Amino acid sequence: MSFLKPKTHIEQGDVVILYLSVNSMHAIEAVPTIVNKKGETIVHIFQTPYGSLKVENIIGVEYGSRVELSKGYAHVLQPNPELWTQTLPHRTQIIYTPDISMILHQLEVRPGAVVIESGTGSGSLSHYFLRALKPTGHLHTFDFHEARADQAREEFRRHGLGDFVTVYHRDVCNLGFTNELDGVADAVFLDLPAPDLAVPHAFKALKLSGGRFCSFSPCIEQSQRCIEVLTKLGFNEICSMEVLQQESVIKTRTLPVIDLEFLKAPKEVETNTNEDAKTKEPKELKKYLTSSNPQVLPGHTGFLTFATLPPNIPKA
Amino acid sequence: MPSKPNIPSIQLGDYIVIQRQKYTKLQKFGSLDATATLGKEHLELKSLLDQPYGSTFKMCVKESKAGKRGAQRQHTLELVSENELRSIRDVLNISSSGADNRDISDNGEAQALKSEDIEQLREECSESSKIIEKLVENSKTFHTRTEYSQDKYLLKKEKKYFEFVQIRQPSIRLMADIFHRQDAEKIMGIRVDTLSQIISYSGVCGFGSYLLYESGTNGLLPAAMLNSIGAATDATLVHMHPGNVPQKQALLALKLPLEQQQRCISVNLYSVLREFYQGDRKLDVSIATEAADATQTDENSATTSEEQTDAVEPTTKKPKLDESPNLNNRSGPLRWQVENKRASALMHEKFDNLVMAAKEHPTNIVEALLPLVKPSRPIVIFSTCKELLQETYMELKASGKVTNLHVTSNWLRTYQILPNRTHPEVNMSGNSGYLLTGYTLS
Repeated sequence: MSFLKPKTHIEQGDVVILYLSVNSMHAIEAVPTIVNKKGETIVHIFQTPYGSLKVENIIGVEYGSRVELSKGYAHVLQPNPELWTQTLPHRTQIIYTPDISMILHQLEVRPGAVVIESGTGSGSLSHYFLRALKPTGHLHTFDFHEARADQAREEFRRHGLGDFVTVYHRDVCNLGFTNELDGVADAVFLDLPAPDLAVPHAFKALKLSGGRFCSFSPCIEQSQRCIEVLTKLGFNEICSMEVLQQESVIKTRTLPVIDLEFLKAPKEVETNTNEDAKTKEPKELKKYLTSSNPQVLPGHTGFLTFATLPPNIPKA
Repeated sequence: MPSKPNIPSIQLGDYIVIQRQKYTKLQKFGSLDATATLGKEHLELKSLLDQPYGSTFKMCVKESKAGKRGAQRQHTLELVSENELRSIRDVLNISSSGADNRDISDNGEAQALKSEDIEQLREECSESSKIIEKLVENSKTFHTRTEYSQDKYLLKKEKKYFEFVQIRQPSIRLMADIFHRQDAEKIMGIRVDTLSQIISYSGVCGFGSYLLYESGTNGLLPAAMLNSIGAATDATLVHMHPGNVPQKQALLALKLPLEQQQRCISVNLYSVLREFYQGDRKLDVSIATEAADATQTDENSATTSEEQTDAVEPTTKKPKLDESPNLNNRSGPLRWQVENKRASALMHEKFDNLVMAAKEHPTNIVEALLPLVKPSRPIVIFSTCKELLQETYMELKASGKVTNLHVTSNWLRTYQILPNRTHPEVNMSGNSGYLLTGYTLS
């Protein structure tokens, strides 16, 4: 239930982020016992590189606290869409925070918005939509994979978000977003292999007062075909973009400063005054606060195509 | 027949977005005599009243005055229906085009019309399509241009002579775009991708109590956060600023319901911290010192950006005017004192995030505000330069009070996607600014 609103203490059943280091964090469920593969109920012990954690012990602990592991420590954080995106069980490729932030901004999602999403995938983006539109909006999310849709539905329920989302198992390219959703959406988001097939359905689902559209696609050809259909249907403000985030690696570096001036003078001088040479001995060191980009960066995620459906376009 | 959609209409006092092709501008529709200026064109806004947002209007020349740089034209606006807007290529019915540009040379003789002729045409014709038609007729090379080149030519001419404007309701998306294009400095260079990430990383939503310190973004940051907080929710925002009066243009432009506006508590950083630590101790003395304090801080911020105070529309100073009658009859506490009290109460409860976009050095401000944030909550600090954040990063890391620290920046590239003409846009913005993000620990 830990996704609904900010809270201070871990309650039984919460998803908790166990933060070990920048590169190592895990989403765990705060329950004292779990059922193992053999069907036996056992004490919930979570193993980390710094030793094990008896999960029962973190129930009632304040979020942000340090918890002891058998060979070290970790911090417990309240999950949010950013941390969840980094720890969630991948069922598909997922979209990450930089693209998602742009999607939410461009789709103008705020509390009260009605948003349609396809496909649900691993629910990474869905959690962001839900944070932005609750408590007064609603998310309709579609996936053509039945097991994925079921898993997502169950996950939203356990995260305390069930009231704000409807998960559909449906092939939207062929079947559309159901007649019930005609003219109800403020925004439609597509992450599909052939977004152009679903654009006419998006057109139908958007409100008569207009709305915003977004398609995320890894390949530019998909965007091209999508834009063709968008133009035909009367969408405007069509715009495609790419957002790439770079991390700056910040380090204090200590650099030796070498002296080359003494090479200009003849060597005899040095041998004559042995003591002078010794005073030079402690080499000069300079400290710098530096930042550099990592060796490997994400070079491409996907093209984001946005468009506006203007008001009063007849949909017959 | 579907029922008419519920589209809000343009009212006096509204801020409106005027769009002419890709150009957009934020304008206050303060009175019926208000005019807006788009380059050399002056538009009378009178006829916008009560028309639905999203409507398109035709600029009709009323009078034309010779100015220093060409004619200044005064226009009235006339509501038009969408189907008056057709593709210029369809209107002109252009059929023939060349294969390449081998026969086209830039000798300045392609256009037979002289600039005086074109000026005159402009006076006579009310429709841009007629002007462009004449230009095309008198162009010796138009039909030997390739189809793509013709498109480009027509787009260029259309841009110059386009006579339609659309009036739109301001939103965070439209305003972020306008502010960044017009003068990025006035919003501290916060680019759209960075703004969107500030909202994400800060976790601001319809539940919780949030803390923002910003030293001048035309109200864009508080407006974006309040927009994410939403109408009819419980969340609150304490908006700290260094000046006398907060910059609120973007907040006012959103025209949020009163209950939502009231959940943004704008307070002066210095006076609210004094209120927080010293409370009711000496109210009378503090009134005097507060005023002095505020003017002093205002001067400080003025040194970093002189035009900052000019950037505030006169209307944004209204809260100050509201206070003055209070000052005279001394009935009850002043508005800023009430706001300080409200903010101080929330500060004692502690906040669910911390967002900062400071023109000052961030370190001391973070140090002062970090104790006001609950554990396991996001902090987001924006700066145009990485160096400032590097230092803050190291200090926060050494303090052990914040974990999962990252400094990030972005590339944002827009694409032209047209059949056979797909490529990245020729110009891109080079500076997204930097974000320092992390989570507080207990």
